[in-house]
Amino acid sequence: MKSIGADATHLRCVVIGAHLQRDDIEPIAEVIPAGDLFLSGLPVADDQPLGDRELLVRVAKVRAALLERATFIAIRYGFTVSAESEAKAKCATHLERWRALLEQHRNDVEMTLKVVAPERVARPDRRDFTSGADYLKALHAATNAVDVDPEFRVAAEEAMGKGRWLHRDQASLELAALIARDAVERVRAGGEQLKRRFPRVPFLLSGPWPLEVFADDHHE
Amino acid sequence: MDENLEELTLLETLDHLLDRGVVVAGEAVISIGDVDLLYLGLNIVLANLDAVKRTSK
Repeated sequence: MKSIGADATHLRCVVIGAHLQRDDIEPIAEVIPAGDLFLSGLPVADDQPLGDRELLVRVAKVRAALLERATFIAIRYGFTVSAESEAKAKCATHLERWRALLEQHRNDVEMTLKVVAPERVARPDRRDFTSGADYLKALHAATNAVDVDPEFRVAAEEAMGKGRWLHRDQASLELAALIARDAVERVRAGGEQLKRRFPRVPFLLSGPWPLEVFADDHHE
Repeated sequence: MDENLEELTLLETLDHLLDRGVVVAGEAVISIGDVDLLYLGLNIVLANLDAVKRTSK
């Protein structure tokens, strides 16, 4: 396989994650060195649309295989690079922080518990706003207005440990937590207990996931 | 695997792929190759919530 490199070989890769060691990636995905870290990538043709369902599923499968190997920082889908120098330049401001996170959480994964709110908050209508900024503020407020049963919140934290509650949209809340790799099954068992205790609350416990929420400084 | 659960697992995986993780240097692609990824992401979120409700019943 033609490899991405320092030269201009122009093999375009969808970047999947940032890893501490080269061995965490090979031979599952393409290795793209970036400073003293390594990015994983999936080669794609230049004319390959990134929204293609088959490609999304392939990337998701590679991502899962990489996580089985070692914990990594998830890069939001849509970032592509064609040369090592490009990867290094674009990631330069993140590398030091990523290294610290990867060293600290080498044995952790993320798990999420998504709860569907009992009532969907009405989405603001763009036509009701003359200013785009005001519309975005209203959208943000509507998302933050979503809430779930406080008793369920407490029980969810008991099952998963303290994490971050995130407002995702106008209909759901999500608890994301860092879980030790050897505690994933215990958390799943906690999820089953939660289901029995709150049979009328629709929720989904999922994971393990790579470092997504806890690597994204927008959520700090 | 139960069909609903299988669908939910796929939707949840795609939701995480499209809507989680670090955005590098503003490189999150909003639209490419005639497919708007934000739109795709939104549809996945909505379908995902619907699937969570269905599998919880």
